[in-house]
Amino acid sequence: MDSEKFNSLRKGLLEFLILGIISSGKVYAADILQRLRATDFATQEGTLYPLLSKMRREGLLDYEWQESGSGPPRKYYELTSAGRKQLADFRAYWKSLTQLIEQIGERK
Amino acid sequence: MKKVINISLSGHPNMFQADEAAYDVLRQYLERARARLKNDPDREEVIRDLEQSIAEKLAVVVGSGVEVMGIADVNAVLEEIGAVDGDKGSGFADTADQPPRRRLCRIKEGQQIAGVCQGLSAYSSVRVDWVRLVFLLLATSTAGVGALAYVVMMFALPIVSTREEYFAANRDQAGQM
Repeated sequence: MDSEKFNSLRKGLLEFLILGIISSGKVYAADILQRLRATDFATQEGTLYPLLSKMRREGLLDYEWQESGSGPPRKYYELTSAGRKQLADFRAYWKSLTQLIEQIGERK
Repeated sequence: MKKVINISLSGHPNMFQADEAAYDVLRQYLERARARLKNDPDREEVIRDLEQSIAEKLAVVVGSGVEVMGIADVNAVLEEIGAVDGDKGSGFADTADQPPRRRLCRIKEGQQIAGVCQGLSAYSSVRVDWVRLVFLLLATSTAGVGALAYVVMMFALPIVSTREEYFAANRDQAGQM
């Protein structure tokens, strides 16, 4: 596998995977990292936090502070309606891309 | 005896103890993160998030029986957190790190003759007054060759209307490298 090319592809997709994870309900940063851990998109706080704050600025998600059983309060993230819309758009676009990728090399 | 430093991190109530070397590593990590995020409007908030995560992981180390953090403890925690990637992570390109690839243009905004000096000034990041001065000296000291150079560039270079537009177009180019 050409890891470098696939790497930049994954980098661009990470944001949409995060939208997908948050769409399942309120999550905090460690949940997101945990869900990504076993995938090709495993990432770290150093990457996640700047990305989350950018997505919040873009109005895709919001957070609220919640007490946690152990330790200090945590930020719980959830999608805004703009975030849900972007995720739906992305999923539809991804579907059409998959079709295109499968069909484009076929000889008629 | 090794000096022990008390560390408090934002978003976490506990104090942590570390030796001097471990403290330095942590301080450097946060400084680097700040530098990488220098164009991020939410920089301080991101730093607080990072500090809180670092503190949670340090608390686990303390829980395992370590009283004074050594450099290896701090390094292990920071390795888990990962370096802050200001470029790709937040979408704020750190333009200071990569010299932009620019194209020489003429710029209409503020032009005296045809905007050649404005264009050279934007291209080279040299103040336009200095560029004009150099041109003037060149033109008078070379019996018109400098003036000819101006005329050649006037016809050869594409024109954009404002400096802002010039930088917007050329930053995009640099971003696609």
